[in-house]
Amino acid sequence: MEKPPPLGYGLGLRPIYYEEILSSRPPIDWFEIISENYMLAGGRPLAMLERIRADYPVVMHGVSMSLASTDPLNFDYLRQLKALAERVQPAWVSDHIAWTGVHGVTLHDLLPIPYTRESLAHVVERIQRVQDFLKRRLVVENASTYVSFVDSEMSEHEFVREMAERADCLLLLDVNNVFVSSFNHGFDPVAFIDGVPAERVVQFHMAGHTNNETHRVDTHDQPVCDEVWALYEHARRRCGDVSAMIERDDNYPPLAELLDELQNMRDIDARILKEQALSAA
Amino acid sequence: MKLADFQSLFQQRVLAGSGEADKPLLKKLRPSPRGAAPETLLDVYQTGYRIRLADFVSQDHPGLRAILGDEAFDALVDDYIDQCPSRDPNARWFTTGLPDFMRENARWRDDVAAVSMALFERAMVDAFDSADETPVTVQALAGFAPDDWARLAFEFDPSLTLLELVAGTVEAYGAAISEEAPAKVDKPAAGDQIEYAAVWRVDHESAYRQLEPDEYVALSEARAGHAFGDICQMTAFQQAGEIAPERLAQSLSSWFEDGMIIGVRVREDDQSSNTPSSA
Repeated sequence: MEKPPPLGYGLGLRPIYYEEILSSRPPIDWFEIISENYMLAGGRPLAMLERIRADYPVVMHGVSMSLASTDPLNFDYLRQLKALAERVQPAWVSDHIAWTGVHGVTLHDLLPIPYTRESLAHVVERIQRVQDFLKRRLVVENASTYVSFVDSEMSEHEFVREMAERADCLLLLDVNNVFVSSFNHGFDPVAFIDGVPAERVVQFHMAGHTNNETHRVDTHDQPVCDEVWALYEHARRRCGDVSAMIERDDNYPPLAELLDELQNMRDIDARILKEQALSAA
Repeated sequence: MKLADFQSLFQQRVLAGSGEADKPLLKKLRPSPRGAAPETLLDVYQTGYRIRLADFVSQDHPGLRAILGDEAFDALVDDYIDQCPSRDPNARWFTTGLPDFMRENARWRDDVAAVSMALFERAMVDAFDSADETPVTVQALAGFAPDDWARLAFEFDPSLTLLELVAGTVEAYGAAISEEAPAKVDKPAAGDQIEYAAVWRVDHESAYRQLEPDEYVALSEARAGHAFGDICQMTAFQQAGEIAPERLAQSLSSWFEDGMIIGVRVREDDQSSNTPSSA
């Protein structure tokens, strides 16, 4: 499996941090942008991105491809996405196993699907068409979900594995999403990570979420919790050297706090490497 | 259930919000291993949808919230979400239809001050991410012979929007976004008084200022491509009680200083025969 080379430790690029990033050049290896926020005619977002892109690798992460929707693929959207990719030259382009609406409506959310043979064939076919159109392999992410369906015929990780192999796409493993969904639906998050094809995983997402006791919601407004750090360590041991990053989308802390989280990733990875070196010796 | 039918049902229930009609969908949900009620879990999507869209409107319309007050603003947003579900994959465009919705909706169209504010704020949002151009300075005029000045025409930044508003809209907006915002911003009185404003982008930020009536006319005509000399001959300037060329030159100078102008050219004779619309 040919994969793009790992980029190191990255951060979701958000406007609140533009100036500090440009002025202080913090120790961040790469940035992930929300593609839709830059699918614009011009202005500050594109100008900031251009300056940051001059010095850092960037990947594009979308939220509106609606890969699982039964509406036709939106080629106006895909054309804009492709134009942005030509401008940004990202290391890769990603989106989610989710749908955002049908009948021409968009709910601006990553909505769940039943994991059925029909859903699988549908998503695989759409990923293949998107890859043909974009002329690049797509990176596809597992979404957080709050409901699961009696119609499902397979587990989520079985769906992800078969989807990735049949569509020949790459994977973005959102470790926080694995944890949130496993909590909400009662599956083993370690089994999920062990069940996805590690050779196709090119990126990890790490983020915080809200604990509502009976369910957890993927809010990206909290620090990464201990359980998710533990799961990250397992994912790292299983998938090896994969680009990893922190997503923060609300309740923004000083940038230094996010840099501390990146350092935590580096420390975990260094410890794993040391252990592996010792056991090899 | 086929995937398409499932998605239709799910979307219908998200759009409508929680209620009795959720039952067919709730039957499709697996029970929560943590004891969460299925209604609670479905409501994460139902409530999240409305919160998300309301947040888009709030971000783009601080002035509208300020003059309407929270209760009326929230009612407006609810109406808009109910009647104008988003159809663009990019959330950026969800709010763009709000002023038109208000003008066409019986509950809101008579609130001309609110519609005026909505139009002004849409222009501010549109200016922020419109196409990039590079403004030119007044020095650009030095390259033209004095004999050509009457035939000079100007190209304006694509972010520039000219607005006719209810008097007081611009002041109310300024108060609403002020860092020392008062507890309540007075809604402009909905009388016959109007004001004019220009909205554009400079240095990556949306900018605005009020225009005197004659400057509004001159800027409108200049943006329509009419030549400097033709605009000077316009009735509005002849009746202004001032020496038209000097008054217009002051305006022209400020357009350069404000970064509104991106190009200057000499109009050919066949173009200068066009008569400005307000002359």
